[in-house]
Amino acid sequence: MKFNFFHLMPYPYLPADFDDVEKYPSPSLTFSNGHFDPVLGMRLYHRYLDELEYADQLGYDGVVVNEHHQSAYGLMPSPNIMAAALARRTSRSTIMVVGNALPIRGNPLRVAEEIAMLDHLTNGRLVSGFVRGIGWEHFAHSVSPAESRSRFNEAHDLIKKAWTTEGPFSWYGEHYEYRYVNLWPRPLQRPHPHIAVPGAGSPETMRWVAENRYLYISVYAPTNVVATWFDGYRRAAADLGHEPDPDNICLATPVFIAESDAAAYREGRRHVEWLFRRGLRHQSHVVSPPGYLSVNGLRGMLRTPTRSYADATVEELVEDGYAIVGGPDTVRNRIAELRDRLGFGQMMVMLAIGDMPAEMTRRNTRLFAEEVMPHFRSSPAEPAGVSPGATRV
Amino acid sequence: MSHAVGTDPVATRLPIGSGAISLFREGRGRPTLFLHAAGGAGAWSPFHELVSERADLVAPDHPGFGGSDDLPELRDVDDLVYHYLDLLDRMELDQVDLVGASFGAWVAAELAVHSPHRVRRLVLLGPIGLRVPEEPVADLFLMSPPELVRALFHRPELVEAALAAEPDLDQVLRSYRELGALARYAWRPFLNNPKLERRLRRITAPTLVVAAAGDRIVPRVHCERYAAAVPDAELVVVDGCGHALHNEDPAAVASVVTDFLAR
Repeated sequence: MKFNFFHLMPYPYLPADFDDVEKYPSPSLTFSNGHFDPVLGMRLYHRYLDELEYADQLGYDGVVVNEHHQSAYGLMPSPNIMAAALARRTSRSTIMVVGNALPIRGNPLRVAEEIAMLDHLTNGRLVSGFVRGIGWEHFAHSVSPAESRSRFNEAHDLIKKAWTTEGPFSWYGEHYEYRYVNLWPRPLQRPHPHIAVPGAGSPETMRWVAENRYLYISVYAPTNVVATWFDGYRRAAADLGHEPDPDNICLATPVFIAESDAAAYREGRRHVEWLFRRGLRHQSHVVSPPGYLSVNGLRGMLRTPTRSYADATVEELVEDGYAIVGGPDTVRNRIAELRDRLGFGQMMVMLAIGDMPAEMTRRNTRLFAEEVMPHFRSSPAEPAGVSPGATRV
Repeated sequence: MSHAVGTDPVATRLPIGSGAISLFREGRGRPTLFLHAAGGAGAWSPFHELVSERADLVAPDHPGFGGSDDLPELRDVDDLVYHYLDLLDRMELDQVDLVGASFGAWVAAELAVHSPHRVRRLVLLGPIGLRVPEEPVADLFLMSPPELVRALFHRPELVEAALAAEPDLDQVLRSYRELGALARYAWRPFLNNPKLERRLRRITAPTLVVAAAGDRIVPRVHCERYAAAVPDAELVVVDGCGHALHNEDPAAVASVVTDFLAR
């Protein structure tokens, strides 16, 4: 099993009355940046980058940066800048960029260029994510959600061709037109950096990711929902005649680990609840604005009964599978149980949760690396059979 | 054409583009094309009934709305203008009275700019389509469905009636599809064509701009600027109405419209 250390880089200094959901329906789009203190922000960036570097030193297989716009929920509008900052300060772990939000980039060739550069700066340790961007980010960057999927598809095709085809060539698409595509540099990895795509249940995405044999990453959701996504991905692959490598299936989840279960709940409660009640607070019509989902996609989503996490306690979040909380034994057992049920070969763990202070984040990161990761390393100790029907290629 | 008293007319389907659209046609008199707003597709309303008593009313659903197919090849309002010119040709209507509401009024104004001779008289009900950065149209896309209902109607009892029952899944999906089509046509530029205002001088039809006194979606200045830029235009304000206009007060709005068309 591979473990990736994921950072959202939240801005934790929210106003004291932020629990007033009428006043603050979410920390995104319309939550005024008057609440952003530049000096605190500067310290956060350095602290958060230190935490990612620390994960590399502790032996995590990957460190993960991501992309969000106009939100206190995540301070990385450009994940490529964060990846560049990490490239020469890390040495072992892969650097996974889960951006770039292709539809809201005006110029996808710029993504192809920047990722190619990053591939060289990381000596080929780069994994390139491609994402749609959340609905509100289409408001933020003034891109029609109704065009989001077709822009994503076209930008992806263009970038991949730019990475793998000797130029110059021309590109005349529905959304983008280039008379000269001729990347300098080309990426280091051949044919190109591995591509990762997060999924939230869309059957179109599952099929497309399976077709391309990309890494499929879940977004935060209850375990029974994630199970349907991973099963859907495997089914889509089976329809195409292959079994996906478990390494191409990745579970994303926050984990809070402490000396004991009691200590973990006592210390972790407020931070896990901060993440779901404040950081991830949203309005569904802003997250999925008109046109963002297909009508069938919305139908599927409305038919999947999920408890809202807006008021959930940490116990409920753990029970549903939104988070893992406990002492080392509990966390290990839970991960083994999830792996056997869901059949993933990678995890993207959030160990810097919500408004956790720096020292607590370091402890959480270290405890997970020392108490959990070795248990799942490939060795005779690793239980055979990840899940029925799934084998490592 | 006519339909039995107490029953609504049946929509017909007409193949066009990559699919088919759905339209109502009812009544006798001058051919009158009605282009609906972001809401109101697929339904025969009291306003339709009242107008069809005095005209040959042609009321199509925009592609992506009501009973019409998506016709995904249509990407913006410019494409819709050609779509409706095709429709007029197909129906052999050389010249029509043209009535549009809100988004439909924008399409109507663009069509009248493109082909002034196809329009005998023009009515714009609470039109969007102009770029007014100081007073933009409210962001419909950022509103939850109940917020949108509250913004559309002036009279609280209509809001309460509309919100009394939870919408069923089909209603939610229909409304999501229609607002998604609106996003396809007009997310950016946001519900406007920056070039439209200076082109309005091309319109030759006598034009009536109808503003709602209590419009919380389209600021009054949009109606005023339409009335100022179209050469032969007048502005009337209907009291006691929100942006929903012909759905809020069908009798008053229908009589303003049909009186103007009968002149």
